[in-house]
Amino acid sequence: MTLAALLLAVSLLLRIASLGPASGLLQDSTPGELALWVADQSEEEAPRSLLGQLARRQARDEGLNSLPGERTLVWARLALLALSLAQVACGLLAIVGLVTRAEWCRSALIASLLLTMAWLFLLPPGEEREIHALVLPNGLALLVALMLLPGRATKTLGFVLIISMLVLGVQVLKEFATSRNFRITTPVPAWNYVSRPDLDTALEALATGELDVVVADRRDLRDIMAPSPPDPEVEPDATDWPDLRYLTRLDSNDALFGVLPVMPRFPGRLALATRADGDLTSLRQLHDLRTGVVAGHFAETRYLAQDRQLVLLDMKILNDVNLPHLQQITEALLQPARRNGPLLLLRILAEAAGHTWSEAIFGFFFGASLGFILGTVFAHFQALERGLLPYVVASQTVPILAIAPMVVIWLGAGPVSVAVISAYLTFFPVTINTLRGLRSPHPNAFELMNSWAASRWQTMWKLRFRAALPYLFTALKVSATASVVGAIIGELPSSIRSGLGRAILDFSSDYSAISTPKLWGAILVAASVGMLSFLIVSFVEWLVLRHTGGRG
Amino acid sequence: MTSAVIAAGQINKVFNPASEERVVALQDINLEVQPGEFISLIGPSGCGKSTLLRLIADLIEPSTGELQVNGKTPHQARIDRDYGMVFQAATLLEWRSVRKNIELPLEIHGIRRRERRDKAQAALELVELGSFGDHWPWQLSGGMQQRVAIARALVFQPSLLLMDEPFGALDEFTRERMNMELLRIWRETETTVLFVTHSIPEAIFLSSRVVVMSPRPGRITALVDVDLPRPRKFETRSWPRFHEQVAEVRELLRDAHVE
Repeated sequence: MTLAALLLAVSLLLRIASLGPASGLLQDSTPGELALWVADQSEEEAPRSLLGQLARRQARDEGLNSLPGERTLVWARLALLALSLAQVACGLLAIVGLVTRAEWCRSALIASLLLTMAWLFLLPPGEEREIHALVLPNGLALLVALMLLPGRATKTLGFVLIISMLVLGVQVLKEFATSRNFRITTPVPAWNYVSRPDLDTALEALATGELDVVVADRRDLRDIMAPSPPDPEVEPDATDWPDLRYLTRLDSNDALFGVLPVMPRFPGRLALATRADGDLTSLRQLHDLRTGVVAGHFAETRYLAQDRQLVLLDMKILNDVNLPHLQQITEALLQPARRNGPLLLLRILAEAAGHTWSEAIFGFFFGASLGFILGTVFAHFQALERGLLPYVVASQTVPILAIAPMVVIWLGAGPVSVAVISAYLTFFPVTINTLRGLRSPHPNAFELMNSWAASRWQTMWKLRFRAALPYLFTALKVSATASVVGAIIGELPSSIRSGLGRAILDFSSDYSAISTPKLWGAILVAASVGMLSFLIVSFVEWLVLRHTGGRG
Repeated sequence: MTSAVIAAGQINKVFNPASEERVVALQDINLEVQPGEFISLIGPSGCGKSTLLRLIADLIEPSTGELQVNGKTPHQARIDRDYGMVFQAATLLEWRSVRKNIELPLEIHGIRRRERRDKAQAALELVELGSFGDHWPWQLSGGMQQRVAIARALVFQPSLLLMDEPFGALDEFTRERMNMELLRIWRETETTVLFVTHSIPEAIFLSSRVVVMSPRPGRITALVDVDLPRPRKFETRSWPRFHEQVAEVRELLRDAHVE
């Protein structure tokens, strides 16, 4: 397995090495796009972005007006080559490790797998698909090799395995969906029908038994015959056709296997006329019945005469609009936010994320302090807990989206409102876990403190608070991520333009193949902000609790 | 003022006196414990042994009756740190090292760091865990954890040691070894011990007097003087007199139950 992966990696290296500056693959790859943009930026007098300024300085140092695209593309090619070389080196190491049964063998495999994954974010999909034909089997081979390797499952291994499976799975599914053109369909036989010159002759043929059913405009039928099931307000004998009924209820979505629609929906303006003693209930029966239609009417031209297909599987979630290639997402992040704009999307999103994060941190501290105070008060005064805790729980059943506009009306559109909304999501887990944590010591522990004549403050500080710390940190980790979500939601009614909330709203309102990668990029950035908060709290937890021998 | 460590006169304890769940936990308890005695409280579950212990510790208050510890009210005795307490669960704080756990009562009493350290080390050596000060509680076996709990109870040198089924959760072998240990500690520290247990042989082996109690309502039915010679050794358990006294207490407990 590892050997196969190595061979694939080597052939990839050869392919990358053979790329010239003019190659489409290089220009379309993420570093290639970035390189061309940097070349553009170096022409500007005073580029706003950092990379542009670096390029400008480099061009000045060399006495040029601007950096030519060929120059920057060479750097991009070097970067790709370095990655490819690293991948081959890791593969070789892994082989050596396997043969000598060394312990670092797995690390080499993991590194190799991560590098292989990186290609999916760097190389463009499309015409140059043979690249992906090298990368995907390479990743799969490494994945299998890692899973077969004996040894203890570590956190790192699990994380790498799962993320690789996800990434590879998405990519393989997309390849499959592309090759099948997103849908699997099967043709449905055409309707058998007879055309009549006008509605009256068609209905006459129906009344005499010459036809079993007539498809016509619902509004025409409604005026001249009674409906089925019957309507108490319509007397059948008072209509033009007392023996005929038009069907108001027809199971038009009659499904095969309960899931797949048999045919496209029966258009709403069409209705079926049958004899009063007929027993037509399903559109599927229409194939076997003698069907009449008025020549040239909508029913014939737009429905019965149309070729139709049965959709067995619609993979529209896998098309490029709904789920962009991974490379398209990284590419979108490393491209100007607007065409030829001065700043990369990543930079703009990072600034937005910084803004949102500052609101989230404010909300986090506000919410966490409130939660801790509430929890402490509840732990000491049972009457207050009994009385107030139900309201605290109820507060969390009100959707944050309903509360947010209220807060904005009360406190004005601004960062304070956002922080309050963020705190609203943050305080609850802290309250509950503080309460639980402060109550967590064994009853004997309280009795011991009592027997030593400890003051209330000593019991709180030396016993309850210390026992609550692990609970508190669990809550803070939940709250840290929730505060970011709260801040993003809070930005929407506050119409704050500089945060992530606005960016997500902008990209999702313009839903197209161009903007969905940007939306995914914004989602990734928002997720990383939440994860960063989580990691910071985890780090503080480690700092505070590391002196307890890994427990408590 | 009497010289007794514990003097209880006509103690009654009723839980939930006003409600329908009214429970008479203790009725007419009279008990006098002299300094240096080793007293065991024995009886079936619900006979109020632990309740009596908690009354003496001033963790709960008697409904009626006179109770004195070292000639003071139990409240004053608690404030003066006259007793140390050990429960069935060691109840060590898992975020503190063994040494820090033992120092905790001293910390609460506001004793300086240097003195705390010395006293904790002395207490550790008393229970023969001198080199385990820097371990974490969860690194110790059940028996060792219980020894730490005893060291913690004795670290401020109280005159009275209250023990609520301290070895109930240990296996037979550890329990017998801990019994020997406890007798040694008792001899060395010259404290008075009030020991709650379920085990008749344990009570006989350890005590100078056994207090037999019966439930509903909890009361003292008999006092048995144990006349086995000291020091008691491992072999003591095989002596005929030991078995006679075990049988005697067993009879008393059965009588109490039949009533």
